[in-house]
Amino acid sequence: MRGLARDARAALAVALAAPLLAGILLVVQAHLLAGLLGAAIAEGRPRAALVAPLVAVAGLIGLRAVLAGVGEFAGAAAAERIKRSLRDALFRRFAARPVDWVRGRTAGGLASAMIEQVDALEGYFARYLPAAIAAVFLPLAFAAAVVPVEPIVALLFLVTAPLVPLFMALVGYGAERASRRHLDAFARLSGLFADRLRGLTTLKLFGRAEAEVATVRDASDALRARTLAVLKIAFLSSAVLEFFAALAVAAVALYVGLSYLGLVSLRTNPLTLATGLFCLLMAPEVFLPLRQFAAHYHDRAAAKAATAALDGMFEGLPAAPAETPRRAQLRDKGPATLVVEGLVLDAPDGRRVLDGVGFAASTGGLTVILGASGAGKSTLLEAVRGLRALDAGRVLIDDTRLDGISPVALAERIGWLGQRPRIVHGTIADNIRLGRPEASAAAVIEAARLACVSEFADLLPHGLSTFVGERGHGLSGGEAQRVALARVFLRDPGLLLLDEPTAHLDAETELRVLAGILRFGRGRTIVIATHSARLAMRADQRLRLVDGRIEPATQLRPTLRLVHDARRSGGRPGSPE
Amino acid sequence: MFARLFLARSGRFALALLLATVTLLAGIALFAISGWFLTGAALAGAAGAMSFNLFAPSAAVRGLSMLRIAARYAERVTGHDATIRLLADLRVWLFRRLVPLAPLARRSFRGGDLVARLTADVDALDTVFLLAIGPSLALLLAGGSLVAILHFLLPDAVPAVAAVALLLAAVLPLVLLRLARRPGEAATAASAALRTGVIDAVEGHADLRGLGVIDGARRAVMREADALAAARLRQAALSASGAVIAQIGAGLALLALLWVGLGALEAGTLTGPLLVGAALALLGLFEMIGPVLRGIPRLGQAAAAARRIRALVGTALPVADPAEPVPLPEGGTIAFDSVSYAYEPGRTVLSDLSFTLEPGERVALVGPSGGGKSTVLSLLLRLDDVGSGAIRIGGVDIREVAQADLHRHVALMAQDAPVFLGTVRDNLAIGAPSADDAVFWAALESVRLADVVRAMPGGLDAWIGEAGQTLSTGQARRLALARTLLRRAPVLALDEPTSGLDPQTEAAFFRDLAAATAGRTVLLVTHAGLPAGTVDRTLHIAGGRLVAGGGAPAPIRLRR
Repeated sequence: MRGLARDARAALAVALAAPLLAGILLVVQAHLLAGLLGAAIAEGRPRAALVAPLVAVAGLIGLRAVLAGVGEFAGAAAAERIKRSLRDALFRRFAARPVDWVRGRTAGGLASAMIEQVDALEGYFARYLPAAIAAVFLPLAFAAAVVPVEPIVALLFLVTAPLVPLFMALVGYGAERASRRHLDAFARLSGLFADRLRGLTTLKLFGRAEAEVATVRDASDALRARTLAVLKIAFLSSAVLEFFAALAVAAVALYVGLSYLGLVSLRTNPLTLATGLFCLLMAPEVFLPLRQFAAHYHDRAAAKAATAALDGMFEGLPAAPAETPRRAQLRDKGPATLVVEGLVLDAPDGRRVLDGVGFAASTGGLTVILGASGAGKSTLLEAVRGLRALDAGRVLIDDTRLDGISPVALAERIGWLGQRPRIVHGTIADNIRLGRPEASAAAVIEAARLACVSEFADLLPHGLSTFVGERGHGLSGGEAQRVALARVFLRDPGLLLLDEPTAHLDAETELRVLAGILRFGRGRTIVIATHSARLAMRADQRLRLVDGRIEPATQLRPTLRLVHDARRSGGRPGSPE
Repeated sequence: MFARLFLARSGRFALALLLATVTLLAGIALFAISGWFLTGAALAGAAGAMSFNLFAPSAAVRGLSMLRIAARYAERVTGHDATIRLLADLRVWLFRRLVPLAPLARRSFRGGDLVARLTADVDALDTVFLLAIGPSLALLLAGGSLVAILHFLLPDAVPAVAAVALLLAAVLPLVLLRLARRPGEAATAASAALRTGVIDAVEGHADLRGLGVIDGARRAVMREADALAAARLRQAALSASGAVIAQIGAGLALLALLWVGLGALEAGTLTGPLLVGAALALLGLFEMIGPVLRGIPRLGQAAAAARRIRALVGTALPVADPAEPVPLPEGGTIAFDSVSYAYEPGRTVLSDLSFTLEPGERVALVGPSGGGKSTVLSLLLRLDDVGSGAIRIGGVDIREVAQADLHRHVALMAQDAPVFLGTVRDNLAIGAPSADDAVFWAALESVRLADVVRAMPGGLDAWIGEAGQTLSTGQARRLALARTLLRRAPVLALDEPTSGLDPQTEAAFFRDLAAATAGRTVLLVTHAGLPAGTVDRTLHIAGGRLVAGGGAPAPIRLRR
């Protein structure tokens, strides 16, 4: 965790030094106050003679207040800076992960990791660390300050104070484990909420909303049980401290009181009232840094648990954003070549999805991959796009291994359409422009036309400027797919990887969309995963994915072949025939 | 609005407050009596008097120490327990209030933002008492007690001490609260935006990476993170300056007490031990300043969260139940009668649509994408109300029927039907809560998913991830369909039940449909080519109207 502090050294130094300085000033303040009371009460000095020490006490109080404020703010500033760089590093980590890694985690859980778990570090840097440093040095410094005036009391401080961390460590160990369980429960609760909200309409229609209220309550109750377990232990450690602090005050009062009355005489010279009051004033202060340390001890436990959770979730805490190594660049024009060799890929549950897939796409032509639902077509396309970690085999694009290509070059060279494209909150044009943010309005309109987005967008009062909601509300599945296709059409890739581009479409729309794909695909290599026979008919190469292996798809229905050949006679421009 | 939830836990909160006050008073008394005893002993020792009463003060010191420890521990456990109970209450209450507002997405709430409201806002609300209101009240109560004692000992010091106690416990919190409102709102909004950004990036991860724009998403998320950090820093600056003012105020009060006290000592109206006791009591009282100040920014955040939650649950209901619901007749004809509907003015989806559906009939609804097919289904379920015209079942307008009755009568499989986080069994049980395994397996067989589930570790108890990501799209669709079939509704409304399925599975599914839905009315929206005998007739919808043709086996009867 210390490694994270690198980014905020200066602010952290101020936050750590301020309490120490304020502590030293406190000794002076207590000395002046005790002397002033002693002078007035024991020596009968008049008020007018005590103005100077009164003003000095007031000035010290003001100075210590400002010091404490500066320290508090510096701690917060350090924590914010550290949290920022950690969030950035975590996002980079997550962004570089294979898609199945992300799918295996809940969106709510990842969001909770990047928000709540990172926030859990705040207390450690802003409060725990300054309190810990103060707890190490101040009690010793205070005891040392008392030594010259009253060695017995100093000894009392030195004996009781070190016992406190010992007890607290014993109690805090349990708090740490409990805290980790608490954070787990919180992340699960967050994920559960997101999930049940997403399905709220279904739950309502199925009359199960009330039953899910019970699920939510159970989850909240589980969280309460865990949280209370953490807190009961954390509070126990502060009770230990309260005990010692109260004990010290009582012991100093009794020892000094008995010395005055002559019932205890361990001193050679008589004890003055000012010295006794100074000891009494310092007694709670010796324990105050320890009490603050205890109050923030659970900050450390929570932060340690959070870092452990982040560590587990992201497989190692990033210390700093890794530099992307310079890697091979690809050709930037013309159709790309794609060769897949011996590709093996297992699902997270260990099931083998691809078991030695090998093929070479028809360069500059259309390759169609058929196969039963769940056969692994989407996985294969994701693997080719570099979104999956391969278990064996290799993918060559322009004769370059996938892992030797920089992510930027890969994104430039490949146009990719996933099976469940995501529509972001914004206008239809905004959504299309995701493909190339700097694209001109004219280019967006052309892409929209080619992907048959205009067909439905032109019917809307605001056309491409119509707002569409999150997850494409207001857009049907087929419409969302076409918007995502238009994104791809804004770019200039040499290889198109399209996963079910015509799902959800009726026959006529499918043919028009297909025509758009083929027009855009002139001079580009196209690979499409589909169920559509109409689409397969137009292919230069038809492959079928069966039991994790690729085989040529030969059995299209004869009647379809006739239609296919008739269409072919029209000629597909740019196809190598 | 939230007051009722707080009142439900008021007993625990009152106990926590009482214990906090006792803790504070015990601490003050411990310190004051120690000072009084010590000074008294010094004076007695100097005078050579040995008759000083040792027993009472030392017993008081011991007793107060123990009282303080016990009260502090009990107060913390009680207060946190009440707070976390309140947290559960709030979540459940909010969830319940959101159900009638579904579908939320149509009401322009964004999913990510909703999650933010449920977690962050509720968290901000629950700590209000524990961290903000409680410490202030305890300081006021203990300060009041101290002022009452000073009134007898040192009446001249009362105005200064009372003014500072009031300043610290009430005035300063209110001023800081006002100043903290804007950074508080900014922090809540930024935190919600950050969450939305992360959730968007997680759910769009494949798309963002596929398009090579994920670094842009990172920069957008980091802008929100920066906004959050800036708001937090403004809060920290406010709370740090509040602390400085409070400490200086406390110092001034001590100075005033000493000035007046030293004068009284000189005049002989106050003894030395009592002066020391009073000064130490004041030092003890200000121990509470820190907690009071730390609570203030949280109060601001909680107020912002409360406003947002009120705005969310205060939105008008999309559809309301009638005051006196009419029972839904069994086995009635479903009739769309001149139905028109628009998402928003100028964006007409259905215009003057009329058709009927006889009990037990299986009807396909086909037509170009965006032609209004899905809207027909959601209007039949009353997810929204028709713009004009009416939908009747057995002659009864569905707006006169309780929604729960309607939903029991018609089961919808939506185009975006979710797979819930949980087991396969959890997902199926949403359709039939009390069914046994045999029923579940039969439902899985009928959608050709039984083999897949059997192969999963745990079978029915296999855990499936968010949005069914460990299932393929086709498998997720079939699971949603099985859930819909399990619902014992006489009418089934299926929206693209076979999207994502390969043609063989799709054809087999349609061949099985008649058997699986025997005796039920089916309204099926599809693009797929249907094998003969799948449906009794086909309706074509384009541009929000019925169009002729398409080889409907029976003529479409139009009701006028």
